[in-house]
Amino acid sequence: MTFSKNESFSKDELEAWQLSHLKETLIRVFHLVPFYKKRFEEMGVRPEDIKTLADISKLPFTTKKNLRDNYPFGMFSVEMDQIVRVHSSSGTTGKPTVVGYTEHDMDIWAEVMGRVFTMGGLTCKDILHNATGYGLFTGGLGFHSAAERMKIAVIPSSTGFTSRQLLLLKDFGATAITGTPSFALHLAEKAKAEGYDIKKDFSLRVGFFGAEPASDGLKDEIANIWGIDYHEVYGLSEIIGPGVASSCKHSHLLHFNEDHFYPEIIDPKTGEVLAEGERGELVVTTLTKQGLPIIRYKTGDITSITRVPCRCGRTLCRIESIVGRSDDMLVINGVNVFPSQIEHVLAKVDDITLNYQIIANKKGHLDKLDIDVELSENCMSDDIGELTNLQKHIQHELLNALYINVTVHLVAPKSLKRSEGKAVRVIDKRK
Amino acid sequence: MHTIKQLSVFIENKTGELSDFTHVLSTNDISIKSILLADSTDFGLVRTIVDNPEKAKAILEDNGFSVRFTDVFGVKIDDVVGSFDKVITALSKSNINIQYTYSFYEFDIGIFIFSVEKDKFNEAVKSLLDAKLEVVSASHFYK
Repeated sequence: MTFSKNESFSKDELEAWQLSHLKETLIRVFHLVPFYKKRFEEMGVRPEDIKTLADISKLPFTTKKNLRDNYPFGMFSVEMDQIVRVHSSSGTTGKPTVVGYTEHDMDIWAEVMGRVFTMGGLTCKDILHNATGYGLFTGGLGFHSAAERMKIAVIPSSTGFTSRQLLLLKDFGATAITGTPSFALHLAEKAKAEGYDIKKDFSLRVGFFGAEPASDGLKDEIANIWGIDYHEVYGLSEIIGPGVASSCKHSHLLHFNEDHFYPEIIDPKTGEVLAEGERGELVVTTLTKQGLPIIRYKTGDITSITRVPCRCGRTLCRIESIVGRSDDMLVINGVNVFPSQIEHVLAKVDDITLNYQIIANKKGHLDKLDIDVELSENCMSDDIGELTNLQKHIQHELLNALYINVTVHLVAPKSLKRSEGKAVRVIDKRK
Repeated sequence: MHTIKQLSVFIENKTGELSDFTHVLSTNDISIKSILLADSTDFGLVRTIVDNPEKAKAILEDNGFSVRFTDVFGVKIDDVVGSFDKVITALSKSNINIQYTYSFYEFDIGIFIFSVEKDKFNEAVKSLLDAKLEVVSASHFYK
């Protein structure tokens, strides 16, 4: 069963839909977003020059930097009186990137998330334990709003407080869960430690997971431990949030909602569009959004597109699970972190140098980020309290900027390795 | 003359860090007169009085340690009840905050080392001398 008829579009129906909506979007951004008017003119292209879907390659890319440069609302194509929701993710350096939704956009979001939930067979009889982070992130509220529209009972449990989550999961009899794959494993481990019988005590039958990479083996492991169907949900705030693509029960490939989000795979170095099946950077153009329509957004995610039909009958293309990044972005418990953000924070702190080392690791099933920060020579306080305060201050600043807890270790001046040329700042021990 | 140059050295809480430090001193014939270790979970500060602070600082820095001098003073006390109290009372009466203190013994005489706020250093020494206490001369420790 599918949620909407668009999911079974024929090739001709799909392409006609995509082209007409692309044209509308181009007229919208050209006339309403000065940034795009300028970019289009620089490239000598006007909306009417785009006559076929293939012509999209004539259009400029949009990057996270463009969003930051137009902070906060410069890329919106409507006035704020049309906006009903704002979300934000941490930017690469300092300023966050901001996204806005009109009522119409919220409908689109509910529509694509409806497709996700339908892939998992959810109906109004289900109880959804939403263990995805709430707040400025699109995750928690993205799942929440769409589930509410489908009359699903939502438990807004968010993340953390594992013991209490287990109690609620059992007592409320949730049938579905959302979260990061690592949190699902962490919950299972804690459940065992607290003496729960996972298959007997809980009523879960389906889970929707995303926001961080997971191997097929890990997905199967989570499915087995909890006795659930595992559905991966892909999304990013710049496009809409969760619901850009998701997997049905037949395979680990994700159905891409290409009637709303037009995907391309490019060579991240040359920008050249790659063929079906080739791996490269995913670039997305929104076709139906109003608040923040976005043209050829470079997601940084590496994947490939396939049009091999799926047994479920949906005809929209599928992508493989994200296999990597075209940049140095780290994913820590579902939160995106760029080393440049960390450097930006450290640069504003006195008494330390800009020699630092970022170490991403696993603590149990969860991610853990440690940063060695080198004291500057003229700091050398003789006071433990002062040094401890400095350490706490840096941790606090990082929490503010990145929205995650980082453990800072102060190390002696000149103790971190110097390297010729580009320093190796990040060690990812999870790989 | 009362100013003792204490070495403050930042050390990470890792196995072998402290022995690297003590080894550098011992192989260079520097004697540790007194030492205080203060630590948090990740790092520690070694505060030490040695018989040749200038040489010790140079050698430690050559070996990659970050060293800084902190001015402290030492007060002699007898091994009798109330002698430490006398010192603390004298400082307290002059409204001087003690940042930290540690001690060592030479035969039956104890010497307490004190760190106070920088701008209160002279005042602290004076309050002790006024109370007829013996503030030791720095040369007492040096070679």
